[in-house]
Amino acid sequence: MTAGSGITNASVTTTDAATADRPARAAPAARRPRRKPHLPQPVHGHFRRLKTRLTVIFLGILFLVPWIRWDRGPGLPDQAVLFDLPGRRLFAFGLELWPQDLPIAVGLMVAGAFGLFYATSLSGRVWCGFSCPQTVWTDIFGGVRRLAHRIAKGNEAAIGPLTGAMSAAVAILTGLGFAQWFIDAPGLAGRFLDGSLPGAVYGAVFLIALFTYVLGAHARERVCLHMCPWPRFQAALLDRDSLVVTYRRTRGEPRARKRVALRPELLATPPAGPVTGMPQAFAFAADGTVGLARGATVTAAPLSRGDCIDCGRCVQVCPTGIDIRDGLQMGCIGCGLCIDACDEVMTKIDRPTGLIRFDAEEADPAPMAPPARIGFFRPKAMIFGGAMVVALAAVSFGVANITDVQVDVEPQNTPRYVLLSDGSVRNDYTVRLSHRLPRLDGVTASVEGMPDATLRFTSGDGADAAEMAVGGQRSAANRLLVIQPPLRGDALPPAGPHPIVLVFHDTSTGAELARVDTRFWEPER
Amino acid sequence: MAAPERDDLTGRYTTGHEWDGIKELSTPIPGWWVGVFLISIAVALLYMVLYPSFASTERYYEGALKYSSAEELRREVVAARAAQAPMRNALVETPLEEIEADDSLRRFATTGGQAAFNENCAACHGVGAGGQIGQFPALVDDDWIWGGKIADIRQTILYGIRSAHPDTRQSLMPVFGQILTPEQISQTAAYVKSLSDPTAAGSRASMPGAPLYAANCASCHGAEGQGGRDFGAPRLNDAIWLYGSSQEAIERQITNPRMGVMPAFGERLDESTVRMIAVYVHTLGGGEK
Ligand code: SF4
Ligand code: SF4
Repeated sequence: MTAGSGITNASVTTTDAATADRPARAAPAARRPRRKPHLPQPVHGHFRRLKTRLTVIFLGILFLVPWIRWDRGPGLPDQAVLFDLPGRRLFAFGLELWPQDLPIAVGLMVAGAFGLFYATSLSGRVWCGFSCPQTVWTDIFGGVRRLAHRIAKGNEAAIGPLTGAMSAAVAILTGLGFAQWFIDAPGLAGRFLDGSLPGAVYGAVFLIALFTYVLGAHARERVCLHMCPWPRFQAALLDRDSLVVTYRRTRGEPRARKRVALRPELLATPPAGPVTGMPQAFAFAADGTVGLARGATVTAAPLSRGDCIDCGRCVQVCPTGIDIRDGLQMGCIGCGLCIDACDEVMTKIDRPTGLIRFDAEEADPAPMAPPARIGFFRPKAMIFGGAMVVALAAVSFGVANITDVQVDVEPQNTPRYVLLSDGSVRNDYTVRLSHRLPRLDGVTASVEGMPDATLRFTSGDGADAAEMAVGGQRSAANRLLVIQPPLRGDALPPAGPHPIVLVFHDTSTGAELARVDTRFWEPER
Repeated sequence: MAAPERDDLTGRYTTGHEWDGIKELSTPIPGWWVGVFLISIAVALLYMVLYPSFASTERYYEGALKYSSAEELRREVVAARAAQAPMRNALVETPLEEIEADDSLRRFATTGGQAAFNENCAACHGVGAGGQIGQFPALVDDDWIWGGKIADIRQTILYGIRSAHPDTRQSLMPVFGQILTPEQISQTAAYVKSLSDPTAAGSRASMPGAPLYAANCASCHGAEGQGGRDFGAPRLNDAIWLYGSSQEAIERQITNPRMGVMPAFGERLDESTVRMIAVYVHTLGGGEK
């Protein structure tokens, strides 16, 4: 028996001494204290402003882009960007993408992935800190909570319900914001309220709202810490030259109250201008600080301190509630808010800012060294950036080469050829046509490589049809029969497949729409 | 057993195991985990009660819900049939010649017809209806022994060819091996072969097989070999030969004719399915007006 496992197999009649004088359950002291929800404090500063601006931009995109109009002519939606799910197509300004254009979407995703890798190798989790929807909405819900506190003015009982109601409103607005990418945006809110939308839309809005509420307003940083897979492999993308949020141990330690005297070598360094150390990709470093010689060691004199006064602000403002002073860790989403917080503190105590800053692990460890510059020209960064550029180029190429008419020709293999009673040979093809032309009523076909062949579409009632009716449809399918007149003697081609080209024309304008390489199967004779 | 020992730092009991000075804590399994485990067991038990779970050699426990996947399939088939009912009724009520002019009816008939064809007909005529030379006629070409109008096709499907059905299409070619000498048969075969060769048009009348053909074959296959659909005599002046186009193959067919048999599918399929197949076959490329 395992002591303390909580499971006992002692029989009822015997009293096991060990079991008897031990409490039935582990003592309360053994339990971890219940985790208090971490509610980050507000902060002001450069990164806070950057974050707010980005949030406004992202929300602007989410809510306003679907309102842009784009005239496509009659019968087609006039929304500039619209995911038309029933029509299985995506309108994006002048583009109309179909499921068969999937490679373009894949290319975009590849470009996005490498862009993410690139940004991470340059500057850590900046995506997490500034652009991830989870971060953006967590931030918004933080604002909502503070607003609720302000409105309730100390009325404790009102704060909870008020926060809940306002958060729910934000969540539902978010759901609607997503829905308007899929449904005509201007009428959406009205139709949503009068109940005239399809049930699936209500379901989708409700689901998105629910997820927004649960993940953004409640799970918050726990998503970043426990649910998100990204932090688990981002470490592989970082290296010693990546700019990451760094607490500068050599300058900050040992921590102590402000009353304690500064370390002499820090004192010797005159406070200089701000050392922001933010990635140049944002707005960029001022390196005016006079540093100690590279490699200088910090030997803390007893009863002297570094620049960190252990005020704890950096921890209080951190959205994930971590202590950056413990070093770079998985929980840090690179948002830079602790930099803002610490810079405020440094300003107050008249020390140069930049005790916490974006810096590279490789940087000069000297307490007052200027921050490392962003390393664009490292193999890792260049490979990721290069891959992103290649993917973007491929996407541009794909977009530039989207054809308005796509014709797929599939030779029938059962049977491969049909011998007709007058000795002619017929091959049957299934023709699938889809087009995004404003108008296409019918299509005629001709064949190259077989001089006397005749072609007809089976209209189904057995009658010859010289053209394939498309009508107003965006796609049509039909059977195309290619008939080779009777050949004799020398003219007899060898058995087996022969390459031919089927050419398709617009019946009304005569314009060539597509050429398709396929084969004509000759019989054994 | 040693008295349980408490770890100072965590306040937990240790297991009493120690390696290299490190003592193993006895951390209980988390409550939520045990909870989920117990709930899983409860769900499994409930499932066993509700659904078929135990089997003996003869019977099995049917479950409180009396669920059966075979029953579910049966219900789905009935439901699918019911959903098709309006289309099937329309198919049966529309005159045969008009079915294909109606887009939705035609699509319904060709789609269903293809499935029914593959199930019932493809075994002989092949998937795609390409037929098999020397065995089963192709249905995609323009040669029809019994007629290629949609009504002809329907009748052939309904009653079959030389089947046991009283209304079956019936024809019989005499066994000329008992009537003609081998030499006469070979001359006749040569003449029959020339019927489909336009270059032989001038010399054909003087061939030794000409009078033999006129006397023995023309009554059914026609003076020009144009065939006779009323009695299922195939055309002989075209390029399509069910039993082969070589001199030997034709001789073989005259000496001891082969005649295919097709079952009457009207006994197996309902009228709407028969019509579906007829429409499908008719639209394969050789259908006649
Ligand atoms: S440690 Fe700083 S940068 Fe990292 S998540 Fe917390 S506040 Fe943001
Ligand atoms: S905010 Fe700056 S000074 Fe305050 S505890 Fe954090 S690192 Fe130290």
